[in-house]
Amino acid sequence: MSGTLLTLQQVSLGYEGRPVLERISFTVERGEFLALLGPNGAGKTTLLRGMLGLIPVQAGQITYGFDRLATPPGYVPQRDTLDPIFPLSVREVVLMGTYARLVPLRPVGQRQRQLAAICLAQVGLAHVAEQPFWALSGGQKQRVLIARALAAEPEILLLDEPTAGIDPGAAATIMDLIARLNRERDLTVVLVSHHLRLVRSLVRSVIWIDEGKVVKGPTETMLAPKRVADVFGTLTGTE
Amino acid sequence: MNTLIAILRPDFLLRDALIGSVLVGLICPLVGVYFVLRRMIFLGVALPQLSAAGIAFSFLVYRALVGQHQHFEMSERVLALLGSFCFALGGLLVLAALARHRETVEARIGITYAVATAATILFVAADPYGEAHMIDLLKGDILTAPAGNLLLLTAVFGGVALVLFGFRKELLLVSFDRDLAVVFGMRAGLWEILLYFLIGVTISFGVLTAGPIVTFGFLVVPPLTARLVTRHMLTFSLVAAGLGAATAFVGFYCAYRFDLPLGPAQVTVASVVLLVVTCTRTLSWLVEKVHAT
Repeated sequence: MSGTLLTLQQVSLGYEGRPVLERISFTVERGEFLALLGPNGAGKTTLLRGMLGLIPVQAGQITYGFDRLATPPGYVPQRDTLDPIFPLSVREVVLMGTYARLVPLRPVGQRQRQLAAICLAQVGLAHVAEQPFWALSGGQKQRVLIARALAAEPEILLLDEPTAGIDPGAAATIMDLIARLNRERDLTVVLVSHHLRLVRSLVRSVIWIDEGKVVKGPTETMLAPKRVADVFGTLTGTE
Repeated sequence: MNTLIAILRPDFLLRDALIGSVLVGLICPLVGVYFVLRRMIFLGVALPQLSAAGIAFSFLVYRALVGQHQHFEMSERVLALLGSFCFALGGLLVLAALARHRETVEARIGITYAVATAATILFVAADPYGEAHMIDLLKGDILTAPAGNLLLLTAVFGGVALVLFGFRKELLLVSFDRDLAVVFGMRAGLWEILLYFLIGVTISFGVLTAGPIVTFGFLVVPPLTARLVTRHMLTFSLVAAGLGAATAFVGFYCAYRFDLPLGPAQVTVASVVLLVVTCTRTLSWLVEKVHAT
């Protein structure tokens, strides 16, 4: 199945009326594996939050190639945005992903429990289902949050810095897992990262974000050594 | 033992007070779980006090516009509930709306508490009729509550428990990961207003039944104790409610047996349980650490 999952047309995004990104346009195709790259504070997370509908669009339009209410996107936040005061087991965290398709007053049932177990197995953590979520390592927590996103049965997975603050070994495992989900399930993936080396061999396309502008292209072109130097030096055009 | 048998008899003189205080102990922690998880504990101090100010304000306004209200009548409680609920919910909504300005949260809650306490005293002082009775009401007059009060309390608290249970997954998700709730298409703001409404109802009935100190105590202490011994959300809520009900009962027993003020006795028992659990946890942690080294 092919087609456009997400279209941004002349979109401006920002906070409290102040734009961070202005008049950006690009599309995300079904099955694409896309990384949003750029220096700290460039607006990567702002763009991701705009794509998720978490911040209002100041200008332009975002069009979704799927029913957002029936099939909401899978979202993996930065894990340090979650409060460790909540007494939650790994299973309870993953089950939250199934709430996307449960109407109010309808409790979690057998189907949701099975789905959560499958998603947990897919990230290789079926054996920790009953453990407290906060007792896991950073890498394991991140994989649990990916399982939670999968439990929403999404067509597109959006991840905010999935390897931030994680040791290199665990980060590679997470990136391999995301690449496998993209390859084997044909799941469209958009992730924010600042680890060029980590994403270089895995993602198929890249969006460079800097100084309020974006440039999109295939990985081999966008992450060519000369291009990287050029982009970090003087970023000019938009696509 | 005789005292225990006496208070468990169906014809026990203070049966309604016993059931009412156990109900407060049971339901306040269910709401208090969200106070603890959403890190709103300081609000738990300010809101019951604000609720008490609402009671005093409603009587003052009623006297100015209509005339003196009748003591120990159901209409008096309805009036008190109205004032209590409006102040608690109004204060909660304003404080919650301002909560994103995190740097001044504690100052705002502190000011709210100070103003509410001062306003309560001023409102009572401004009402020359039945000041002593008013003070009883503000402390929570569970021992002198009129007939029908227990039925109303049971119905309202039962409703609060049912709504909390029925919408537990939505309330959990907007509390734990608001962004995900929005991504899922949930109207997070409306769910939060529902939670605040339940908090407002529980506090206003809790304050009128048992007073602000007991309401704050049961909103916060049993959930804090339960948090130390549970690993799952459902057990956290159930253990908090169970601890609240049990300590309310034991507190009632102690108050009756040793002729102590009811509310402080109940809060003290709940706090002793928290202290014992905390010490036990700390000791077991130290023992584990010693064994590990």
